[in-house]
Amino acid sequence: MSFLQPMMLAAMPLVALPLIIHLINQRRYQTMRWAAMMFLLAANRMSRGYARLRQWLIMLFRMLAIAGLIFAVSRPLASGWLGMTSGGRADTTILLFDRSPSMQQQGAGTAISKLETGRNQLVQGLKTLGSSHWVLIESTTNKPRSLESPDALFNLPDTEPASMAADLPAMLRVAYDYIKANQTGRTEIWICSDLRENDWKATSGQWRTLRDRFMQLPQGVRFHLLAYPQTADNIAVRVTGVQRREIGQAAELLLSLKFIRQGNSNVPATIPVQIEMEGARSEMTVEITGPQYEMKDCRIPLESGQKRGWGRIAIPADSNPADNVFYFAFDQPSTRQTIVVADDPQAAEFLQLAASIGPDPSIACAAEIVPREQLAAVAWDRIALLLWEATLPEGEVAERIESYVHRGGQVIFLPPRIPDSKTQFGMRWEKWIDAPKDSSVEAWRGDHGLLAHTQSGAALPVGQLQIHQYCHFSGKFTSLATMQGGIPLLARVPANPGGIYFCATTPAARDSSLATSGVVFYVAIQRALADGSAVLANARQLVAGPVPAGIPAPWTRLSSTGNALSTDYSYHHGVYAAGDRLLAVNRALEEDHACVLDDAAIEELFQGLDFARVDDHAGNVRALIQEVWRLFLFGMLVAMIVEAALCLPKIRTAARVAYREVQGAAA
Amino acid sequence: MFPDYRSRSFLDPQALSRLASIPLTARRPMQGTISGRHPSPHRGASVEFAEYRKYVPGDDLRRMDWRAYGRSDRYYVKEFEADTNLRCCLVLDTSGSMAFGSGNFRKIDYARKIAGTLSYLAVQQGDAVGLTCVAKGIVQSIPPRQNPAHLMHVFDILEQAVPAGETQIVPVLHELAETIPQRALIIILSDFFAEPDEVRGALEHLRFRKHDVTAFHLLDPLELAFHFRRPMRFVDMEGGPAIFAEPNEIAGRYHKALEQYLAKIQDVVLRTAIDYHRLSIDEDYERALMRFLTGRTQTRGVR
Repeated sequence: MSFLQPMMLAAMPLVALPLIIHLINQRRYQTMRWAAMMFLLAANRMSRGYARLRQWLIMLFRMLAIAGLIFAVSRPLASGWLGMTSGGRADTTILLFDRSPSMQQQGAGTAISKLETGRNQLVQGLKTLGSSHWVLIESTTNKPRSLESPDALFNLPDTEPASMAADLPAMLRVAYDYIKANQTGRTEIWICSDLRENDWKATSGQWRTLRDRFMQLPQGVRFHLLAYPQTADNIAVRVTGVQRREIGQAAELLLSLKFIRQGNSNVPATIPVQIEMEGARSEMTVEITGPQYEMKDCRIPLESGQKRGWGRIAIPADSNPADNVFYFAFDQPSTRQTIVVADDPQAAEFLQLAASIGPDPSIACAAEIVPREQLAAVAWDRIALLLWEATLPEGEVAERIESYVHRGGQVIFLPPRIPDSKTQFGMRWEKWIDAPKDSSVEAWRGDHGLLAHTQSGAALPVGQLQIHQYCHFSGKFTSLATMQGGIPLLARVPANPGGIYFCATTPAARDSSLATSGVVFYVAIQRALADGSAVLANARQLVAGPVPAGIPAPWTRLSSTGNALSTDYSYHHGVYAAGDRLLAVNRALEEDHACVLDDAAIEELFQGLDFARVDDHAGNVRALIQEVWRLFLFGMLVAMIVEAALCLPKIRTAARVAYREVQGAAA
Repeated sequence: MFPDYRSRSFLDPQALSRLASIPLTARRPMQGTISGRHPSPHRGASVEFAEYRKYVPGDDLRRMDWRAYGRSDRYYVKEFEADTNLRCCLVLDTSGSMAFGSGNFRKIDYARKIAGTLSYLAVQQGDAVGLTCVAKGIVQSIPPRQNPAHLMHVFDILEQAVPAGETQIVPVLHELAETIPQRALIIILSDFFAEPDEVRGALEHLRFRKHDVTAFHLLDPLELAFHFRRPMRFVDMEGGPAIFAEPNEIAGRYHKALEQYLAKIQDVVLRTAIDYHRLSIDEDYERALMRFLTGRTQTRGVR
């Protein structure tokens, strides 16, 4: 049981008042000379069972009446939020509000989403509980925002649905920073979320740090989780590939679609898929089976003159309307430009060759060998990939490369023949080492990155590579491939949104078989080139989130279903125009998978913290927190009435009977 | 009538004058010593014809009914009812319990009023009055007499009676049943705090001796209501052990015991056919006596 005025419970010892009065009364007895002792003696000999029980019941009901009164003035709450407010009114209440697409899932038999239900519950609950200060941290911007009252949640656009996935650890970090910076006093953090794994990132190392930090806060923080873990049958649609292709005089759009199905996936389902191309709609029927279903290169005819455009895919409404629409944009592919900076002419030639041959005839690629002294003249905003086989850059060149990576460019560093001790991007070349004979790659990441498996699922022949010499590098990196003994061969340096890779050897014949067994190296370079060129493309598929670097503002909405603020376009799905670019913003892939954290995982995340959780369901219109002091007041009245009934009638009746007999005899 | 008249607290002249208009009668024939107004079991010389009886030698020839002889040629003696006076024996319980009174009167005071008034009424109509004060045994006893001087003696004893000691009314009643020689009106004034079965035995003993028994059962209103708010320590007025009781707890059982007792007493009354009057001492004694006297006139004893 929780109370709004828990201090009133300090009066609970008053429950013993009837007992104390009884004991005092026992001591205040009167002495009386009495004649009819024979009746008293007879009464003492009689069974006292009921009489004694009656006395105890009277005492009990008196105590219950007082307890009911104390409970009533303590303002008890009837809810599942057991123990949540026992600390009384908070100085600051911070709301962490999950606006991710999965929160738009609707409950069974209702059109109210989890997000709307959670918002209503929070408003009602927080209004009941009260606080001195309310702060909202929603899942898109992760910026704290003060609220005048919980009612403001209804009016703020910050609590409307968004397409961006939530990052609960980041939100908690912001909450911690806010508490630390503002000395918030007694603080409560309320989290409203559907417990999706991709939002909570339960395996992230940040949770441990967050737990330690919150536990070190002197004022103590209470966590309340309003969870909506229920999942429902749902189908999500997304576009995995968009490619414009010209066939003779005609043109067509190759769309790859993916359907992800939750719930009963064994039963085949026929779905009408609506394709909208700049306002023109067409429909096709797709029969899907299994939990996932993909359609590759579905051909959509285009007018021959249409070089660029946008569209959207829609399926009929189901439990989650947020994943029934997917936007896309397309444009004529631009030339993928690579510059090669190499001290070794042989390596430079090979690198240029690998980067200049496109994987598809329709994709134009160009690679240019640029001397270091001419780098200042390079048009960096058109470069997709930089291949660097020389000593690490420094000074102005290093700054340019850093800026280039920041806007999404890709760099692959290869070891120079004579490594120096310079450190750049947190990395440093060490020295060349002769590899043991027939040294090969022992392990590599096949799930993602440059060496990932092909679309058909086949692994690249990375294990067939022979390494003769390698140059060890040191720094902070993530290995993508390692040789025997765990020596890194290819590594990625943390950098967003671009990519910085370090390869421990060169394609030169004396160093490795990268050139002779060129598939692996070619694929890696083309993948890096594709990543780099995707950023430069005029039509981009963006995952909802902050505006990526290099994209001009403002954005103009071309198609969208929501009423998002123009400053928040990047958080909402739709097609937008930014300058001459077309931007299709959609939810992240992880949002389509209804993987929910189990209870044990949640408990583990908040282990050691003052944490309470209640599960709600979408469409619940009953307030989770209700004041029930009336119930206790009624209980008190009932107790008093029962006590009175036990006290009075028995004695009066008996006395009246005896007295009436005498009067009757007299008459 | 009373040359050495002095005021008695238990006598109200106005009440006496009002009650004097109703005669005190016996419900059954009495054996008095002199002629009176009460029926006697014997034949006498009153004007009320009783029966004819065959003449036997030795009968008074003056009682021979010659007209009957003329009609039937047989000798008959004409007999008439005898009227005698009443011998009223007052039995006053003076045990400690009679000192109880929650109002203006104690039970002993109430009993004094009844006893004094009845004594006066009896003597006034020529009946004899005796008084026996009982507690653990017979405390004081004077035989029935009919003269006014004796009545003053009765008043004195009533006035001086002090309630004390245990109630042993049952053995005393047995004793009185044996010691009162002739049929008499026995009026018992007591709270009868004794086992009803024992009381029944004593009353049956008195009835066996052909006494006309009347019982005034005196109870205090507080004894009936047992209405207390605070815990009480009840000290026995007759010297028994004290009892500590929570009235709210014990009241129910007290009333139950009281009801059982009264029901048994009522059963005793029905079985022994005594003239029983249960009185709460907050009731006007004059009304109680009026009820007693008028009741007796309706059930005047047959011979």
